[in-house]
Amino acid sequence: MQVNQTKSQFVAVASIAAELSAVMEVAKEISLAAANAKAIAFRAGEKAKGFQPITDFINELAKDTIELVNNINEYAFHLYRLTVNEQRMTEACRRFEKVGQLAVGARYADSLNAPLQQVRQRNQVCHREFIIQVSELLIKLADVMHPARAARVIAANSRIEASQAGEYLQSLQAVAESVDNAAQIINDKVHKCRSALTIINVAE
Amino acid sequence: MRMTKIYEGAYQWIMLGRDEHKPEKIIDTNQYMVRTANRCLLIDPGGIELFAPMLAAVLHHAPVEEITDLFASHQDPDIISSLGLWDQALPNAKLHASALWEGFLRHFGCETIEYVPIPDHGGVINLGSTELQIVPAHYLHASANFHIYDPHAKILMSGDVGAALEAPGMPVFVENFDMHVEKMRYFHQRWMPSNQAKRAWIDRVRKLDIDILAPQHGRMFKGDDVKRFLDWFEALQVGIAV
Ligand SMILES: [Fe+2]
Ligand SMILES: [Fe+2]
Repeated sequence: MQVNQTKSQFVAVASIAAELSAVMEVAKEISLAAANAKAIAFRAGEKAKGFQPITDFINELAKDTIELVNNINEYAFHLYRLTVNEQRMTEACRRFEKVGQLAVGARYADSLNAPLQQVRQRNQVCHREFIIQVSELLIKLADVMHPARAARVIAANSRIEASQAGEYLQSLQAVAESVDNAAQIINDKVHKCRSALTIINVAE
Repeated sequence: MRMTKIYEGAYQWIMLGRDEHKPEKIIDTNQYMVRTANRCLLIDPGGIELFAPMLAAVLHHAPVEEITDLFASHQDPDIISSLGLWDQALPNAKLHASALWEGFLRHFGCETIEYVPIPDHGGVINLGSTELQIVPAHYLHASANFHIYDPHAKILMSGDVGAALEAPGMPVFVENFDMHVEKMRYFHQRWMPSNQAKRAWIDRVRKLDIDILAPQHGRMFKGDDVKRFLDWFEALQVGIAV
């Protein structure tokens, strides 16, 4: 039971790490799209006046997302370390119990009781720490949703601004499109992270 | 786990091995224990699968808090992949192993146990009432490799040198050297990489007074069989895979 539990923790932590690195990639794409949009808006001059502050805003959002994800990565790494420790201690408990069975009648069999108790305790402490870290991570993940949501609103505004940009209409619309897509992907990935974490919580 | 006392004086040497619960596909290993009045050294304590039977056997002789020293001749999994478990079981222990392997061995888990790095030229393990010598045996077969010599008990624990692969449950000592040779030949030819390293080791070991040569696999050699082994090994060409 316990062994399976750490196994599912490993899977959850690994999938979070994978989703987060995907979010990172997408955030970088957004910041690239923002730079691109800025260049187009600059060339369009008056026609894309309303578009220029939007590009700065998109860039800010991408930066925020990257920063948040960096921060969350540290949490994910910490969760990974905790899972490794927990797995080691769970394994140790199992093997120590086996020693107990095999050492029946051995003169010093009782000397293993203290280490066994200690490992059990440390294992519990470690698992509690893991649960706490998971709930903090869930909050952090909710934070990443904010810039992604804002990006979608901005994308909608961008489309309106783009419609006034004459011959630049198409390229600016494409920018709005890619920001929208990216924001949606981030939303998706973060949702996946959250449900991976929730599975662990449910397993509790 | 079968226990065989191989030296009894002010302290004891015990060979542990021939474990009948060993999973089939895992290579059979010999572990050695040096037990003094209040301390205990485990030499090549073994793989992770062997941890439970090994510790259960040791608990007949010593409580966990008196298991103060572990020695790993090299970094192989059959030698020391149990490290992470000893690490959690032993409240005050040191691991003596090559400085070269530290970053590798720590992968097995080594938080509580103090890693005592052995320099290339060897050193000693002081057990209070007695002191054992750490003898270099580099490239036999690992690039950093050590053996343990006890000048008092006249035992040389020789790691993979002298190892033999044979059916489970064999006797603990070589009984007929000539018949034993075939069980050792391929192992030494294939696992030992260097004739030069082999010669250096033989020159070194010939100067030691040895009653028992105790390898990590197969049977131990005693009396004249020790010299027979050294002669045989000296003449053997090793490193045959290239
Ligand atoms: Fe080896
Ligand atoms: Fe070996």
